Amino acid sequence: MSAPLDLEHWAGENIKLADVDTALAQLRVGVAPAGGPPDLRTSVMTHIAWVPADWEAQARAALAGMGERHPSRAILLFPDPDSGVDSIDADVSLERYAIPDADRNICSEVIELRLHGKRAKAPASVVSPLLISDLPVFLRWRGEPVWESQELEQLVRITDRMIVDSTEWDDLPYPYTRLAQLFERTAVSDIAWARTSRWRTILASLWPDISDVRTIRVRGTDAQAHLLAGWLRSRLDRPEIALEHVEAERLEGIDLDGEPVAFPPGDPPAPSDVLSDELDRFTRDPIYEAAVLATTP
Amino acid sequence: MADDDQQHGPENPLLEGLSLRRTPDPCALVIFGASGDLTHKKLMPALYALMLRRLLPPRFAIVGVARSDGDDDVFRKDMKEAVQKHARDEFREDIWNELAESMHYIASDFADEGGETKLAKLLTKLDKESDLGGNRVYYLAVPPPAFPTIVEALGKRRTAEGWTRLIVEKPFGHDLESARQLNAMLWEHFEEKEIFRIDHYLGKETVQNMLALRFANGIFEPIWNRQFIDHVQITVAEAIGIEGRAGYYEAAGAIRDIFQNHLLQLLALTAMEPPIDFTAESVRNEKVKVLKSIHTPGPRSVVRGQYGRGYVEGDEVPAYREEKGVAPDSMTETYVAAKLYVDNWRWADTPFYVRMGKRLARRETTIAIQFKRAPHPPFEESSAEGLRPNVLLVHVQPDEGVSLAIGAKVPGQGMSIRTVHMDFLYGGTFRTGMPEAYERLILDTLLGDGTLFTRADEVEEQWLLVDTIVAGWQRDRPGFPNYAAGTWGPPSADDLMHRDGRSWRRH
Repeated sequence: MSAPLDLEHWAGENIKLADVDTALAQLRVGVAPAGGPPDLRTSVMTHIAWVPADWEAQARAALAGMGERHPSRAILLFPDPDSGVDSIDADVSLERYAIPDADRNICSEVIELRLHGKRAKAPASVVSPLLISDLPVFLRWRGEPVWESQELEQLVRITDRMIVDSTEWDDLPYPYTRLAQLFERTAVSDIAWARTSRWRTILASLWPDISDVRTIRVRGTDAQAHLLAGWLRSRLDRPEIALEHVEAERLEGIDLDGEPVAFPPGDPPAPSDVLSDELDRFTRDPIYEAAVLATTP
Repeated sequence: MADDDQQHGPENPLLEGLSLRRTPDPCALVIFGASGDLTHKKLMPALYALMLRRLLPPRFAIVGVARSDGDDDVFRKDMKEAVQKHARDEFREDIWNELAESMHYIASDFADEGGETKLAKLLTKLDKESDLGGNRVYYLAVPPPAFPTIVEALGKRRTAEGWTRLIVEKPFGHDLESARQLNAMLWEHFEEKEIFRIDHYLGKETVQNMLALRFANGIFEPIWNRQFIDHVQITVAEAIGIEGRAGYYEAAGAIRDIFQNHLLQLLALTAMEPPIDFTAESVRNEKVKVLKSIHTPGPRSVVRGQYGRGYVEGDEVPAYREEKGVAPDSMTETYVAAKLYVDNWRWADTPFYVRMGKRLARRETTIAIQFKRAPHPPFEESSAEGLRPNVLLVHVQPDEGVSLAIGAKVPGQGMSIRTVHMDFLYGGTFRTGMPEAYERLILDTLLGDGTLFTRADEVEEQWLLVDTIVAGWQRDRPGFPNYAAGTWGPPSADDLMHRDGRSWRRH
């Protein structure tokens, strides 16, 4: 991953959405070399991120490099419902990346919108005019969604795939039952689930001996532990499989009935690779959905 | 339990939904020509890239065989330097160490029984130590004269245990007769499905993208025929000269070096019918039908050239006849252009103009599909004078991607139309790093997938066409050199197009 060549930028307060389109067009013209071909604007999706105040820094960090891996229009929504005014502030930027062996650059668009007052309650109406036609819409929801809130309801309605990281949630596994209610309405990806992929491959290689396992002990995050247990219960059709969880920041090991499972070969994927892989998926994941449903009795 | 379950066991429910990569079986890869350029620049960097991405089998051995003196340590040190210099990825000591552990070396020219015996003993030892199951890939990265000795020695010592695959580098013969002899020699010891003839162009992402472009997009295939396409231009241009390979190039020339293999393969992929599936046999069946359909061009439809002195990127470069090792009166062609017809229902009367050469103005491999003009543009003639026909341009290298030239209105009063390009650049959309062709081809061989390799009948059809063209050349003696280095070839190549009222693409 390389850093952007430069970042062209426009900001405005109390803007109209048409101002955003105008700003993007002007920025693109502004960065084109005199007499040379314009930079390429290649998009494979619109990437919306719903970013409550506590998650701003992480959201921006996760976005770094995303434009390079998945050229897209990224729309970051920062809700500020308790603001005294009803308005939208915008920060629009173009990230430009060099294309190896080519005399042109590629540019990605990042639109940050701060939704003040009532505007934070109608996010779908804000982003809909900015979606790129005919391309999939991914919604990355930072933190635990506010279940049954109108913001979530609206954004799910315009989204092809919602990406969460249940590692960011408290009181697991109960929020999984709320998440499951979205499965019929949008495809869901979970970064926590994706991070268990290497271990699931190792566990699958233990078939058929693993079929009568009674207890799985997971040293990792709460989310990973519940999802792995849910996966085993659902795949083996054995809801009685017990979970023991030892808290750790990342998935460090698994024991089956007291016997440690061999460590997966190779390095764990980088966080940007995990998110990137999820952005390559377009359909529902029935195995994940079954695992989620089996996390709770 | 059902009988079937007793034999195979019930299906593993944990595998469902896991995106499992096909992992090659454990095996030993034996590289003949391990001290050569190809091994240094392509094979070892490709193996390193595969190791880095965990695509090699967990139990794997590499055995280098070459005439140079040396041992395992010298070989590993040499290959480490090659990887550090030529790999596309950042060098990682831990990954290298893992790869190096699997590497062994045998100093032998294989012309003696001693070399064969040493290799057989080493492979038996590695089988026992690493449980390789007797699986072997032999890579012939040696000049063709060395093939028979090695192939016969390998054939003699084949065992029933495990599978065996043989990778053969180009050139595959120097004419139809020699290619047939080579095939016959290989078939004495190996089955066709065990032979992997490399044309590294087929390992390039953009060449494979030609199949995706044609068969994954509903908009192109209905117009991919004589009704809508005016003609096709295929260009394989190199800016470099012969790079010290006079011995090879004097005997090969452009027609054997590029036309016989890369260029005809690009043409076959462009013109082939949709295969029923993407298996090796289906794809190769369709390609060979195209090769069989190519009408032998007459002398007026083929142009050959040889470069004289000139300038490439500002540097003065010598004429071909001034290159070291080249005869001062050499009649070897460094450029070929031809008008070919594919005589079948889809392409009847649609010319395929092809050209390839060395010391041309720049390095570029492209396939340009030029569509017929709009039947009746309702604009004033002056409005559309800058408008050219629609062209779908597949950039194989560099700037890998696809461009579509379309007419668009120039903003302003009145109606002025000009040609603009819509570009899709591979590097701009899929930023995951383009694998090198050899990575894909080595991995496919380990997996036993021959889709991107040329089959014996394809090679023979290609030689049949080349032999006929070369036979026609015996009757005349063009005035070489006939183009300056750094240009786009001889004027007669332009005439080839102008006679048909067409011209080569502007660069």
